[in-house]
Amino acid sequence: YLNSYMHKAWLGPSSLCCRTPGAPVSAAGLRFVSNAAPEDNRSPIIESTEEYKYVERLIPSSRIPTPPKHTGPTPSGWIPPADSPPSLPYMIRRSRMHNIPIYTDVTNSNRKLTLIRKVEGDIWALEKDVRQYLQEVTGKELPTQVNEVTMTLKVKGHFDKELKDWLVSKGF
Amino acid sequence: MSFPKKPGGKALDVLQNLPRITLANLRPEPGARQTEKRRGRGQYGGNRSGRGHKGERQRGNRPRLGFEGGQTPFYLAIPKYGFNEGHSRRPQYHPLTLKRLQYLIDLGRVDPTQPIDLTQLVNARGVTIQPLKRDYGVQLVDEGAEIFAAKINIEVQRATEGAIAAIERNGGVITTSFYDPISLDILIKPVPFFVRGQPIPKRMLPGENMLPYYTSADNRGYLADPDKIQQARLALAQKYGYILPDISKDELYHMLAMRKDIRQIFFGLSPGWVVNMPEKKILKPTDEKLMKYYSS
Repeated sequence: YLNSYMHKAWLGPSSLCCRTPGAPVSAAGLRFVSNAAPEDNRSPIIESTEEYKYVERLIPSSRIPTPPKHTGPTPSGWIPPADSPPSLPYMIRRSRMHNIPIYTDVTNSNRKLTLIRKVEGDIWALEKDVRQYLQEVTGKELPTQVNEVTMTLKVKGHFDKELKDWLVSKGF
Repeated sequence: MSFPKKPGGKALDVLQNLPRITLANLRPEPGARQTEKRRGRGQYGGNRSGRGHKGERQRGNRPRLGFEGGQTPFYLAIPKYGFNEGHSRRPQYHPLTLKRLQYLIDLGRVDPTQPIDLTQLVNARGVTIQPLKRDYGVQLVDEGAEIFAAKINIEVQRATEGAIAAIERNGGVITTSFYDPISLDILIKPVPFFVRGQPIPKRMLPGENMLPYYTSADNRGYLADPDKIQQARLALAQKYGYILPDISKDELYHMLAMRKDIRQIFFGLSPGWVVNMPEKKILKPTDEKLMKYYSS
């Protein structure tokens, strides 16, 4: 079972003894040479490129990776967007991290807002649909604000969960 | 789908057809602005101007906050107790929920086919560790244990029992190991460390107060006995009521069994080595004394 891996881990660092010596120290340029030639008395340094693959694993990537193909919802609750965008007069893109762009805001600890960003196309149709959907869900007429310059929609109150589920069910 | 973006939309159309906007045409929405109460200007803003009748209230001479008229105030009556004493010397562990870990795996930010290390988590931007704020690493919390479904080999600094159970139930391996602050700083940001040109240091062992935690098999400590860990796995499976899957028959057994050496910071790289990133080389010492020091 797990008995042998401790052994393997211990053998790891000591296996570097049996290598042929590589280029001399002065080529590496790491040690500060103050005298004429003290390096000849010291043992050489081995250079190798075999373990560099472990270093490459440690370098962080600068791009956000595309998520792997999932059919349906994942265990963590993330649902991938539909393959073809739905045929509606508006479109809501996913964020950089592949999530639905709905955010909540609280100002003065009592003013709640829900913000829908990254809208394209006919915002007024989206606003009508959102108002109608929230009317069915809550039974209240909620004030909304459309900003045509930034293409965002604000709704009074916290409705991020409901709106996210609704948008995901539409296929955005 | 490409929607032609008309900047401004309907608002711009309206603006173009209505007369020119001037200061005379603008007005706020009714009810949006509330006029302020101007004190000292007659009827209800005047008379005493909201200051009350005589005394310290009207004369603006009230005592300090917390004064209770001579009675020993609350903040002096309660005796001191060192709740927060030494708070800046306590080790902190950033919590990582199993739900967040599952989310990172689902979005492809963390690779479950490789051993998951703190470096991998930080590279995926899943957690942010600040070693200068007495962070000693990451702790695995069992929120989201019901939805967790990934077979991984993970190494954290602390873990709750429920989290250990959730990972082992799915056929994974979890280890808790200790990193002293210098090793942690190197582990989180390996590239700036390699650029410095210093040899990889050896990881220090935990201090007396943390040694019992990392030598006990219940916490899956890296200094614990492997046999005892196996027994602890079986005991936990019985306690939480699941069948412990046999990892030795797994195809990824080699990856799941990979564990770091006690003095190793990175997988595959030993202490004492210098990494040369521009030339993609690793320099290893062969001097006896150095070898003895680094492999002690």
